[in-house]
Amino acid sequence: MRPLTPKRVFWICSALLGVLFVMVVISLRMGAYPISVRDIVMTLFNGALGRRDRIPSDFWLVVFGLRLPRIALGILVGAALATSGAGFQALLRNPLADPYVLGVASGAALGAMLSLMFAPQVPGAIQAAAFVGAAATTGVVYFLGRRGGQLDSATLLLAGIISASFLSAAIMFLGTTLSGRDQRGMAFWIMGDLSSPPSLNLHWLFLVLIVAVGSIYTTSSDLNLILTGEQEARHLGVNVSRVKLVVYIAASLLTGLAVSVAGAIGYVGLIVPHVIRMIFGTDYRLLIPASAIGGAIAIVFADTLARTVVAPTELPVGAMTALAGAPVFIYLMRRNVR
Amino acid sequence: MLWRRIFAVGIAGALLSSAVPQARAARGAFPQAAASGEAPRVVTDEVGRTVSVPAEVRRIVTLAPNLTEIVYALGLDDRLAGDTNYCDTPPAAKDKPHVGSPVSPSLEAIVALHPDLVLATTSINRRQTVDALARLGIAVYTSDPRTVRGIIVSIARMADLMGAAGRGAALVAQLQARLDALHTRLKDRPTVDVLFVVWEDPLVTIGQNTFIADALRWAGARSVIESKQNYPRVSFEEVVRLEPDYIVLTADHEGAEESEGASLRARPGWSQIRAVEQGHVAVVGSEMDRPSPGLIDAIEQLARELHPDVFGAKTASMSSAAMECACVR
Repeated sequence: MRPLTPKRVFWICSALLGVLFVMVVISLRMGAYPISVRDIVMTLFNGALGRRDRIPSDFWLVVFGLRLPRIALGILVGAALATSGAGFQALLRNPLADPYVLGVASGAALGAMLSLMFAPQVPGAIQAAAFVGAAATTGVVYFLGRRGGQLDSATLLLAGIISASFLSAAIMFLGTTLSGRDQRGMAFWIMGDLSSPPSLNLHWLFLVLIVAVGSIYTTSSDLNLILTGEQEARHLGVNVSRVKLVVYIAASLLTGLAVSVAGAIGYVGLIVPHVIRMIFGTDYRLLIPASAIGGAIAIVFADTLARTVVAPTELPVGAMTALAGAPVFIYLMRRNVR
Repeated sequence: MLWRRIFAVGIAGALLSSAVPQARAARGAFPQAAASGEAPRVVTDEVGRTVSVPAEVRRIVTLAPNLTEIVYALGLDDRLAGDTNYCDTPPAAKDKPHVGSPVSPSLEAIVALHPDLVLATTSINRRQTVDALARLGIAVYTSDPRTVRGIIVSIARMADLMGAAGRGAALVAQLQARLDALHTRLKDRPTVDVLFVVWEDPLVTIGQNTFIADALRWAGARSVIESKQNYPRVSFEEVVRLEPDYIVLTADHEGAEESEGASLRARPGWSQIRAVEQGHVAVVGSEMDRPSPGLIDAIEQLARELHPDVFGAKTASMSSAAMECACVR
């Protein structure tokens, strides 16, 4: 493999951004309401220039009211989940780590649900509660996953699965206290759903995303060293515990962010970093930004399918990612065992 | 050093993200559906939302089968622009453009139909769907059926919103008269304890706050299960202990066409229930679980099944034939 230079990182990320752009255009084009590419370009062009009066109100509603916010939400959630997956994989030194498999997403969902029940009107409360839920679950799973003072791969996964099922049971129990229509909403949300954008302004969430992804990125050289062995990294002057703390907080924050707006969308955090590793190698300086963009591509793609395969009915996007993700997970696990 | 780098990235992020929300700023600024001269009417719907409806409603989209039935019962089907994949009654409703399933309809498909008014219900739609439509500036009236009288009032209100107050009043008066007649005939009769079966396996029944529980009361019956949950799961033991006089099924259940619960007796567990042993199984039309005008038909049918002596013995022996009628209709 060629050495990783900043130039190479730049070109790979630019190429991935190009793929994302194509994906966004395709996603903008697809949907129950038929719009030609020409009309989409016209709508975007006039919209960007602020000339709303030149756009038919239907196009405005469909492109700016429905599809663009949903794509933006997909980019946000995909980037957050894939980066947090890469972060957890480094933190726990386990290639099968993923916010969903580890139960961290369920913890975030429980937090979000509690805040919906007790403080539904407070802006940002869902996000904060989801973060607390994610962070607490990560802590518990990390603690349970140790055997003889060492993190054990199998024990860790078991701890994650047990935590996830316990938390799911708690969520289901709380769900019985909700009214019928809130129960339906909750069931959809837990499967992972992008069809109902959050009431909070998206740019705050993007700000959190960029800060959290950026913080993990700043540790990437250190993560590379830690992956060769914590002891060795320490000898080379890496402050291992501080790096771990940064990754732990940022990855939990990203999981909480994604879950609070879109529910638990599984497997993206697992698959995307792995695919990136297979194609571009394991260097975290490339893996972190490439995973963020790759996750965005994956979710925008999955959500486009979710919107269109059984149109006009919509599937939860989590169903699409699990459908594709579960087989890949099994493949990775078997390959890992061998 | 590390933290300074994080800070720098954060600043860069703030600058970048300020470019993102341009599209977002447009939210809430969508124009109301084209004004038609007269000022829109502002009403409060049954879940407490303020809804601004154009004075003249020409295009309606329904998000649940019962709402489609109400629109047809009011004779407003020429204004029905679209309904859901599940809307099958009357059969003509199947030919209308569909917007998806009631739980997850496509918002785009709804927008594409240019509705003046969207009708939703708490009994099957999601709150998120209603919120999202409202944010797009589309008028959504949500009904909240909890009692039979509540459904009738709701029909009148929706008729009024759709500009058919007269037809609504006539329909409502007719439905209310039938309920009153039923009440007069049944008011001195003892109440029949029933188990209303929503689903056999696992056994799911109705809670006390559902409109079905209220419909049972109008038919001179009472659900033996008292639960605050709308559709509680209950155990057979509980049913055996409570000894209902009758088991009530709707006609869309598997094996319902076989009379007197022969098929129920064959199921494990059910044979232990006294009412099944005695053949006290009443089958009513599937209208029983739809909060629409057809519900009154189902109530009348159930009253005939449970109180054959009041309505003349011959209807009891013809119970399966009456059920067939309900199915066909």
